[in-house]
Amino acid sequence: MKTVSRLRAFFARLRFVPARRRLLDEMSNELDSHLELLTDRYVRSGMDPDDARLAARRQLGNTTRVREDIYTMNSIEWLGAVAHDLRYACRVLAKSPGFSGAAIATLALGIGATTAIFSVVYSVLFKPLPYTEPEQIYAAEIVVPERREQFPSLPASVQAYLTWRDARSDFSDMATLRPWECNLTGDVEPERVGGARVSANLFSFLGVSLASGRGFAADEEQPGNERVVVISDALWRRRYGADSTLVGRSISINGESHQVIGIAAPSVLVPTGTLLHPLVPFASRVDIWKPIAPTNRELKSESWDHGVLVRLATGGNLEAGRQQLEGIVNEMVRVQMPNLKTAVIVQLVPIREIYAGKVRLRLFMLLGASALLLLTACASLANLLLARVATRANEFATRLALGAGRARIVSLMVAEAAVVTVIGGTIGVALATYGASGLAAYGPEDVRLLATTRLNLPMLAFAIAASFVTALACSLYPAWRASRYDMAAALQEGGRTSFGGGRAGRSRRVLVGVEIALATALLASAGLLLHSFINVMQADRGYQIEDVLVADISLFGERYAKAPSRVEFYRELVSNVRALPGVLAAGTISDLPAVASSIGASRTILHPTDRIFQQVVLMRPVAMIRSVTSGYFAASGTALKAGRFLTDDEPEPVAVISESLARRLWPEESSASIVGRQFRQSNTDSPLVTVAGVVADARPGGMDREPLPVVYRPYDQWTSGPMALVVRTAHDSAALAPAVRSTIRAMDPNLPILAMRTMREIVSSTVGERQFQVMLTSVFAVLALLLGAVGLYGVVSYSVACSTRDIGLRMALGALRADVIRWVFSHGMRPVLVGLFAGLVGAVAVAIALRSLLFEVAPTDPLALGLVSLVLLLTSGLACYLPARRAARVDPVVALRS
Amino acid sequence: MAKGSPPAKTDVLQGTLDLMVLSTLEGLGPLHGYGIARRIEQISDAALRLNEGTVYTSLMRLQHRGWISATWGTSENNRKARYYAITPSGRRQLTAETKNWERIAGVIARLLRTVQQP
Repeated sequence: MKTVSRLRAFFARLRFVPARRRLLDEMSNELDSHLELLTDRYVRSGMDPDDARLAARRQLGNTTRVREDIYTMNSIEWLGAVAHDLRYACRVLAKSPGFSGAAIATLALGIGATTAIFSVVYSVLFKPLPYTEPEQIYAAEIVVPERREQFPSLPASVQAYLTWRDARSDFSDMATLRPWECNLTGDVEPERVGGARVSANLFSFLGVSLASGRGFAADEEQPGNERVVVISDALWRRRYGADSTLVGRSISINGESHQVIGIAAPSVLVPTGTLLHPLVPFASRVDIWKPIAPTNRELKSESWDHGVLVRLATGGNLEAGRQQLEGIVNEMVRVQMPNLKTAVIVQLVPIREIYAGKVRLRLFMLLGASALLLLTACASLANLLLARVATRANEFATRLALGAGRARIVSLMVAEAAVVTVIGGTIGVALATYGASGLAAYGPEDVRLLATTRLNLPMLAFAIAASFVTALACSLYPAWRASRYDMAAALQEGGRTSFGGGRAGRSRRVLVGVEIALATALLASAGLLLHSFINVMQADRGYQIEDVLVADISLFGERYAKAPSRVEFYRELVSNVRALPGVLAAGTISDLPAVASSIGASRTILHPTDRIFQQVVLMRPVAMIRSVTSGYFAASGTALKAGRFLTDDEPEPVAVISESLARRLWPEESSASIVGRQFRQSNTDSPLVTVAGVVADARPGGMDREPLPVVYRPYDQWTSGPMALVVRTAHDSAALAPAVRSTIRAMDPNLPILAMRTMREIVSSTVGERQFQVMLTSVFAVLALLLGAVGLYGVVSYSVACSTRDIGLRMALGALRADVIRWVFSHGMRPVLVGLFAGLVGAVAVAIALRSLLFEVAPTDPLALGLVSLVLLLTSGLACYLPARRAARVDPVVALRS
Repeated sequence: MAKGSPPAKTDVLQGTLDLMVLSTLEGLGPLHGYGIARRIEQISDAALRLNEGTVYTSLMRLQHRGWISATWGTSENNRKARYYAITPSGRRQLTAETKNWERIAGVIARLLRTVQQP
C-alpha cells in the first residue's frame, strides 16, 4: 500500500517537473501582486507609502524561501542528476568515437541478428498455424516395410481416403488433396498455374474462411458436378484485376469451362511443393482449388497419390485412431491382392512437421549461430569496456579524491551503459526489422510460407536486456575496482600498469579467448557448410548444368486430345528448335530429374519370367517412367553406359534404363550384357519391353536423395502429360530464350509457357535451403570474426598504450624493435591460440551433431578447418601487428619523460 | 517537501494551513492567493499571525495532491491572477480532515480539562 501511494505521489509530482520554471515565475508574479495589493491596502488605511510597503513585506514573510520551497516541491532531485549523468555520458562517448562506434555497432549486430533470426524461427516453428485447433491435424502416410528403402512412406489412394472417411474412427474429419495443373486460357494471355484437387470439405476442415463466395458443397464431389473452382486472392488480383463480379462467372481451365464460386482469403495457408509428401508434388504456389470427383475407373486404379489430412476428435486417442486406419487399409489390401503378404503401417505426422519438419534442424542451427553471435557481441562489448579500465581507473580515483560518492560513480556508469544500449538497441531494432523481412522474402520456400516480418518482442527485450546487463556489469567493474583503490597510489601511478598486468588484464584476455573461440566455432561451421555446398554444386548429377535451357510446355484442349497429335507437335517443336542458330541439341522429357517435385508416374518393373504379380510385387523395384523424345539424352548431356539412345522411330517397345535400375533388376550382370534384355511394367500380361541402352543415373538437383531407378520410354510409346523442352546451346543459353519462345508461339499462340530457365537456375533453386544457410552462417561467422578481431585489437592496443613507459625502458636498456614486436605478439596471440583450439573442438562437436547438413564432408574436414584456422590466425595477427608496430615506434626518450 | 516557515513567525501548523485554505475555497468558491489570505485573516480575527507567503506554498502542495485546481482570471487591481478552486477529491479530503480534526480537538480538549482539574 505504502509503495503504491508513494509511487502515485511520485507520478503526481512528475507532472509538475517539466513546467517547474514556468510555475515558479507565475508564483513570483502572484507574490508580487500580493505584495502590491497589501501595500495598497495599507496606503488606503492612511499609511505612508514606504511604511506601507514595509508592513506589507513583513506580513508576506520570506518570499525567497517560499519560492525555493515551491521550486524544490516541483523538482525531483535525482532526476536532475540522471539528466546530468546522461549528458555527461553522451559527452564522454562522443569524445572517443572509435570506442563508442565499436560498442554501438557490436550491440546493434548482436541484438539485430538474434532478434531477426529468433522472430523467423518463432513464426515458423512455434507460432500456432492459422487453422482451427491445428494441433489436432495430422497427415496420414502409408509405409510399406518392404519398400521403405526406396520410399520411406507413400501417400494414400483415393479409395483408401474414401474408406477411411466413411469408417468410424477416432478422427472427427478427414480431407484429401492432390496436385492439379491448370492452364488458364480465354480472357488474357494463356497461363499455367498450380492447382489442387481437394475434397469438398478442405476449407471447413482446416477452418480457413473465404474472402468471398462459398466453399464447395458435398455433392460437388460427384462426377459431373465438379466444374467449380475456388481461386486464390493473389490470382484474383493479378489475372482478374480484383474484379468483384468474378464469383459466379466461368473461366476456362485446361480448355474446359469452370465456374468460380469463391475467392480464398489472402492469408490462406495450404501445403505447396513437396511439403505434404515427396510423392504429392504441388506447384510452388497453389492458386486454384477444384473438388475431387473420382470416376469409377479412378476408384479402381491403384494410384497412391493423394495426400490425406485427418483431424483427431476432441478426446480421441491418436494411437487408437492410427491403428483403426492401419486396420482398414490392410483389409483393403487383403481384399484387392489376396496373395500379397505384407502388413502396411500407417503413420501420422503432425501438420506442423509438414510445414517445418524439413527446416527445423537448419533453423535451430541458425538460431544457435545467432546466439553465439550475441554472446560474441556481449563478450566483445565487455572487452571494449574493460579495456578502458586503465584510463578510467585514474578518472575514478580523481573523482573519489574530490569527494564523489560511490553512488554517483555507479550512476555515471549506468548512464554510459544506458546511452550505448539505447543507441545500439535502436540500430539493432532497425537491423532486425530489415533482417526479418529479408529472411521472410528470400528464405527457402518452407520458411517463406510461415515467416512473418513482425519482430518477436520478448526476444527483442531479452537481447536488449542482455546487452544492457553486459554493458552495465562491465562498466561497473572498473568503477567498483576504482572505489576500492588506494586513491593516492592510483593517482601517483598515473594510470600506468605493467604490460597486460592486473586482474583487469587477465579478464580481458579470457574474454578475447572466448570471443576467438566463438568466432572459430562459427567460422568452422560456415566453412564445413560452404565446403558441403561446393561439393553439392560440383557433384556429378548425371546430366549437364551449364548451357542448357529448359521450357515447360503442356498441351491441352481439343487440338491435342489424341496422342498422335501430341507426338506430332513435340516432334515438330524439337526439329524447329534444333534449326535455331546456336542450338546443339534439343529434346523433351516428361519429368526433369533435377526438380524434386517432378517425380511423375511410377511402375513396378517385372522380369519376363514373373507369373503372378502379387507374389513378386514387393521384390521388384519400382521405377519412374519418363517419356522422352530422341534428342533428350544429347540435349541434357546424359552419359550412355551401354547400348544406344532412343530414336524417333522405334517399331518395337523399347526403353533406356538407368544404371540403378539395371543393378536392381539384374544384379549380377554388366551393363553391356543387359542391353537386349526384356522386362514388363507392373503387369504380368503387359507387353515385353526391350532394353536398348543403359544410361547414367540422374540425381535430383539438391543431391538430397538417392537417384531413383528410371525407365525412359519413347514418347510415342508412352504418351504422358506435360513435357519439358531441353535445349543444349553453344553459348549463353539464357540468350536463346526469346527465340525458343517465339518458335513455340509460332506453332500455337494459345500455349502457356512457364518462365524459361537455365538448368543452372533450376539446380540452384533446388539447393535454396542449403544456400540460404551457408549464406547466413557465413555472414554470422564473418561478423563474429570481426568482433573478435576488434576485441583483440582493443586489448592489445590498450596494453601497448598503458605500457609505453615500460617499452621505452626496455628499449633504452637495449631491446630491439623486433624484440618489442615479438613481445607484444606473444602476449596478444596466446589467448588467440587457446581460443582457436577450443573453437575447433566445439565446431567439430557441432558438425557431428549436425552431420545430416553436411554433404561428402567429414566433421573434421581438414580443408575447411585448415582454411578457417589460417583466416583466423591472419586476422588475429593483423589485429596484434598494428599495435605492435606502434609499440616498436616508441621513442624511449619521449616515453620515459612523459 | 517544503520545510516549515521560519520558527520565529510560525504560529500556524503546515497541515492546519492546508486545511484552512481548503475550507476557505469550499466556503467562498474560487479565489486568488490574496483573497485566501484576507479571508483567513478575517475569520481568525487577526488572532493567528500568518506569514502570507506560505499560503502559496500551501496552494502548490494542494495542487500536487490534486485537491485544488488553478485557472487564470483577472484580480481586483486588473492584473492577471490565478484563481484556485476546490476539486471533488479536495472536497472529500476536507470532509475527512474536518472529522479528524474535530475528533483530535475533542480529545485534546478533554485531556486539557483533566489536566486542569487535579
